[in-house]
Amino acid sequence: MNTQMLAVIKKDLRGITSNRRMVITLLIVPLVMTVFLPTVFVFIPYLAPEQGEDFRGMVEMLPLAETGEGMHKSMIRLILNYILPVFFLIIPIMSSCVMSASSFVGEKEKRTLETLLYSPLSVKQIFTAKVMASLLLSMSVSLLSFLAMLVVLETETWLITGSIVMPDGKWLIIMLLVAPAVSLTAITLTVRVSARAKSVEDAQQGAAFLLMPVVLLLAGQFMGILLVSAWLLILVGILCALCGIWLLKKSMYGFQYEALL
Amino acid sequence: MEAIILDHVGKTFSCGKRAVDSVSLSLEEGEVFGFLGPNGAGKTTTVKLLNGMLMPTEGTCKVFDMDPAEEPEKVHACSGVVTEHAQMYDTMTGLQNLVFYGTVFGLNAAESEKRGRQLLKQMELEEAADRKLSTYSTGMRQRLSLARALVHEPRILFLDEPTSGLDPESARNVHVMIRRLAEEKGITVFLCTHQLRYAQEICTRYGLMDQGRLLAEGTLEDFRKKQGSGITVEIEADGMPEGLACRRITPVRFEVRVRTREEIPEIVQRILTAGKRIYHISSCQPSLEDIYFALTKNGKENREEKEL
Ligand SMILES: Nc1ncnc2c1ncn2[C@@H]1O[C@H](COP(=O)(O)OP(=O)(O)OP(=O)(O)O)[C@@H](O)[C@H]1O
Ligand SMILES: [Mg+2]
Repeated sequence: MNTQMLAVIKKDLRGITSNRRMVITLLIVPLVMTVFLPTVFVFIPYLAPEQGEDFRGMVEMLPLAETGEGMHKSMIRLILNYILPVFFLIIPIMSSCVMSASSFVGEKEKRTLETLLYSPLSVKQIFTAKVMASLLLSMSVSLLSFLAMLVVLETETWLITGSIVMPDGKWLIIMLLVAPAVSLTAITLTVRVSARAKSVEDAQQGAAFLLMPVVLLLAGQFMGILLVSAWLLILVGILCALCGIWLLKKSMYGFQYEALL
Repeated sequence: MEAIILDHVGKTFSCGKRAVDSVSLSLEEGEVFGFLGPNGAGKTTTVKLLNGMLMPTEGTCKVFDMDPAEEPEKVHACSGVVTEHAQMYDTMTGLQNLVFYGTVFGLNAAESEKRGRQLLKQMELEEAADRKLSTYSTGMRQRLSLARALVHEPRILFLDEPTSGLDPESARNVHVMIRRLAEEKGITVFLCTHQLRYAQEICTRYGLMDQGRLLAEGTLEDFRKKQGSGITVEIEADGMPEGLACRRITPVRFEVRVRTREEIPEIVQRILTAGKRIYHISSCQPSLEDIYFALTKNGKENREEKEL
């Protein structure tokens, strides 16, 4: 990593943050996932008592309730530590798709990639810088979303129960391992799709089509993993990271002057 | 040291199109080389081969002794490239763009800014420095591209039609600037252009491409000698001495063809000795444009003969 690559990373990030449409696209999903969704979950027992019963059933099945803790607090614990992580992973996936579509296809579409290729950076360095920019953005959006979610959820919990519920250690694994690994995979898939895409929208849609079934398929499994153990979660994270790195290597191989012009 | 060496370079695209066909060429440092030829001749392809954007299918290229196919980054570090496909970022201002490319080429932030402002001034873009590129006209973009190519003070410039889209005044300014860069800084220039009049003014040597082949290469003098078309002298006089081969254009204007400049004073002497009076005399040699048309016509005829 050198200052020249940093310049490319900074330029890519600024390209996103100075584009209002991109920023809105990037903010809507995290807002829904971290503010709207938790609020709905927390208030379900009040708003729809029948659904609340289902939750109660789940809570009783799982070894969640700590002694002396109210039913509602256990329910919030269930939501925070077992349900929200599943939805949360959509955030890094979505933001890395949006970013990498704009930084790879966007440059090609606007004919700025050729100019960048004439620079003394090697194609590999340009590729790496672009992947780093996507990863960085996706991680910052994820972290901010997580903090926003905590603030919202804890405030609501405090209002309802008078105390707060701590997120458990698995969140750490999710933030530090699973989210980057999932982002990396999403970035490489977007780059893959974008090699054939004609426009940024094309690439984004293509990536979304590719990713959504996978996400839906994995979501159910993921909740199961959360329930089993932290070790399994780490294992899944590592597998996903390896898969991302392998795909990255393959995409990097396809990223060559002649193929890009 | 040679700035550019092309050794039997050929490029056949995967679709079977042979864009460059066994071209050999060498350029000394500090030369301004005019690379001419009709559309589709293979000029842009040659520039891309020299920058490692395309791999030659045969032969080798060298730019300052570096092989662009093997170490393109090193070639890029010492060359500036302007092509119509290499655009800059619309969402950034002119200055921001130059600073970005300066940094990418290894200058630090302060240096790039200083250099950027200096080049903007040189390109007469000072007022537009802090405007987004999306508000630039074609000519302004083109001039900014030139500034971008110069930001890291390259040793060699590859200019692929740098004046397309420029008004006559800007085109002239750009050409004057190219010549100045070559004269003052010793920058080697590889200039692909269709503007033969300016090419004649600023280039030290020419290469003429057609259908992927290098038809001719050399200085204007070389071309003129090879063509043997000589010099046309136009004389306005009240008559011509007997026996002087000339063509009468009007009753008082005559055209005489000579092989070298040295013959002109002799002819003047003969006319004066014969008691005629001369009112005006001018000599003119075939321009680059005349030679270009003659050579590309030859090429076409040769091809047609081959096909028959
Ligand atoms: N990527 C490509 N694949 C296939 N053929 C190509 C490709 N790029 C260029 N060509 C062909 O190679 C030939 C030479 O093209 P090139 O762009 O080098 O011409 P040029 O001399 O720059 O012409 P112009 O004056 O119009 O810019 C053309 O016939 C063109 O169609
Ligand atoms: Mg061309």
